[in-house]
Amino acid sequence: MRKKGFADLFFVFLLLYLFLPILATMLYAFATNWNKTVLPEGLTFKWIATLFQDSSFIEAFGRSVLLSGGAVLLALLFIVPAIFVIVLYFPKYEKWIQAAVVMVYAFPGVILAVGLIRAYAHIGVPMILAVLGVYVISILPYIYQGTRNSLRSVNGKQLLDAAELLGASKAQAFTKVLLPAVYPGLFAGALLSFSVLFGEFVLINLVVGSRFETVQIYLMKKLSTSGHIASSVVFVYLVLMGILTFIISMLTKRSKGAAKA
Amino acid sequence: MSYVVIEGLHKTYGTNAVLSNIDMAIEEGEFVTLLGPSGCGKSTILRIVAGLTGATSGVVKIEGKNMNDIQPKNREVGMVFQSYALFPNMTVKENVAFGLKMKKMNAIEIEQKVKEVLALVHLSDKEHAFPHELSGGQQQRVALARALIVRPKVLLLDEPLSALDAQIRKKLQADLRSIQTELGMTMVLVTHDQEEAMAVSDKIFVMNKGEIAQEGSPTEIYTKPASEFVANFIGHYNVFTKKELEQMIGGKLPGEREKFAIRPEAIHLKANAGDLRFTGIAKEAVMSGNVIRTVFEVGERTFSVEQLHDRQASVVLGNTYECYVSQEDVVALI
Repeated sequence: MRKKGFADLFFVFLLLYLFLPILATMLYAFATNWNKTVLPEGLTFKWIATLFQDSSFIEAFGRSVLLSGGAVLLALLFIVPAIFVIVLYFPKYEKWIQAAVVMVYAFPGVILAVGLIRAYAHIGVPMILAVLGVYVISILPYIYQGTRNSLRSVNGKQLLDAAELLGASKAQAFTKVLLPAVYPGLFAGALLSFSVLFGEFVLINLVVGSRFETVQIYLMKKLSTSGHIASSVVFVYLVLMGILTFIISMLTKRSKGAAKA
Repeated sequence: MSYVVIEGLHKTYGTNAVLSNIDMAIEEGEFVTLLGPSGCGKSTILRIVAGLTGATSGVVKIEGKNMNDIQPKNREVGMVFQSYALFPNMTVKENVAFGLKMKKMNAIEIEQKVKEVLALVHLSDKEHAFPHELSGGQQQRVALARALIVRPKVLLLDEPLSALDAQIRKKLQADLRSIQTELGMTMVLVTHDQEEAMAVSDKIFVMNKGEIAQEGSPTEIYTKPASEFVANFIGHYNVFTKKELEQMIGGKLPGEREKFAIRPEAIHLKANAGDLRFTGIAKEAVMSGNVIRTVFEVGERTFSVEQLHDRQASVVLGNTYECYVSQEDVVALI
């Protein structure tokens, strides 16, 4: 009994340690005044309202969505078909993708930033495109894992064989059978990539900075002017990530159910 | 000419020969089984017939037509896979209807055919279920229905029952055979289970190391195995060298063959006129339900005897017994 009591206590402390900063930040986003008291003196929607009335926030949000979404879309268009072909038809080349995946983790953001500026700043390529390019590559691990695991769990090659023997052309087998079967895993990978890119700060700040103000850069600026507004930004960001995580977990559950088939 | 003809089929991966010089002839409406241990190339033959894998050399003909350059989708060959390969995002009905949709058949006709074929595999009540909601046996029935509905010229079954437990497997074997007879469809089954092969087939090809070891009806294969490999694979045959057997029976055996096989149930403990006679010491008995297998020792080696499990059959371990076998049941091997 005593052991269990200790374990419970430890668990509560752990939860507090993990979630107190987040709770405090979220509370601060709604606090009127929170200087000398333990809890805020009052609650208000003022900060959130101010945030959404600030056109530069809305624009920053739009830029973030555009940049992260664009990168994910490009990855889906170019990387996913490549992974399909390699996993299904040339499995011996998979090790090269795996090597590429490790390389993505191996490059520190600062080196990447300096490298990008050196390489592209003087040849007229807009730096934001260079960052976009890096983003597309940097989500390779998530896209690769998501796609490959779905393909494996539904036994993609055999589904294609089965569809073809039932009279489907290769294109039909791909679009009518394989794609719908792996779609949940693919979509989960895409959402995960999107949320990772949405939170990216190092590269975009060093390479482009305030010339292309994303939510993260906006947040950085607001940190020095208003803690309440900054907290509100974090709040909105967390809500968005919460929604994405929920969708991902629903999709993963669904694809697991399907994988039993 | 036979319905399905395979001539001089070779398949190599790199320097590794998977199939060498395979010739087969399958008649229309026949249930043929390719039987062999795993890795003997039997599944590769199916994949080549289906067009999913290319042959290194050789010809596959269906109804006299050379299939070598014909796409899988145009071969009119169906296939059922060991892991079912059902489309996970489609219901049972959609899975089964897929082949007809690809043929652009109209919806009313599809609806009716799906109902018919689902009734045939006893799954009429599962139309709207998704594959993951079904048991393994039910999933395999769906896979079978999906393949049957397009009425392929040949239906290939790649170890379709191996992943199922014994009871369901037996039931599905019987169903498979009765559906095959009802539709008169040509089927080729691949299995490593010799009992399954004997239970369902008209003809069996026993395969070993990429070659056909023997072909024949189940009875021919079982009672007249051509080689030591077939004798061992198909049952619990006792295989003796000529010298061993001559010593045991105390006489000479006719012919040039060096090896002989005797089925364990062909050896009995009661004499019939003209039987060969030898003695053995009972060493070990294993009861597997309806059959008792007793291992006897004679000189340096052992042989086993199978008897039906009745009260008179009991053997006292350690005692010496006289054993008898009819001369016809001594099979000379290559």
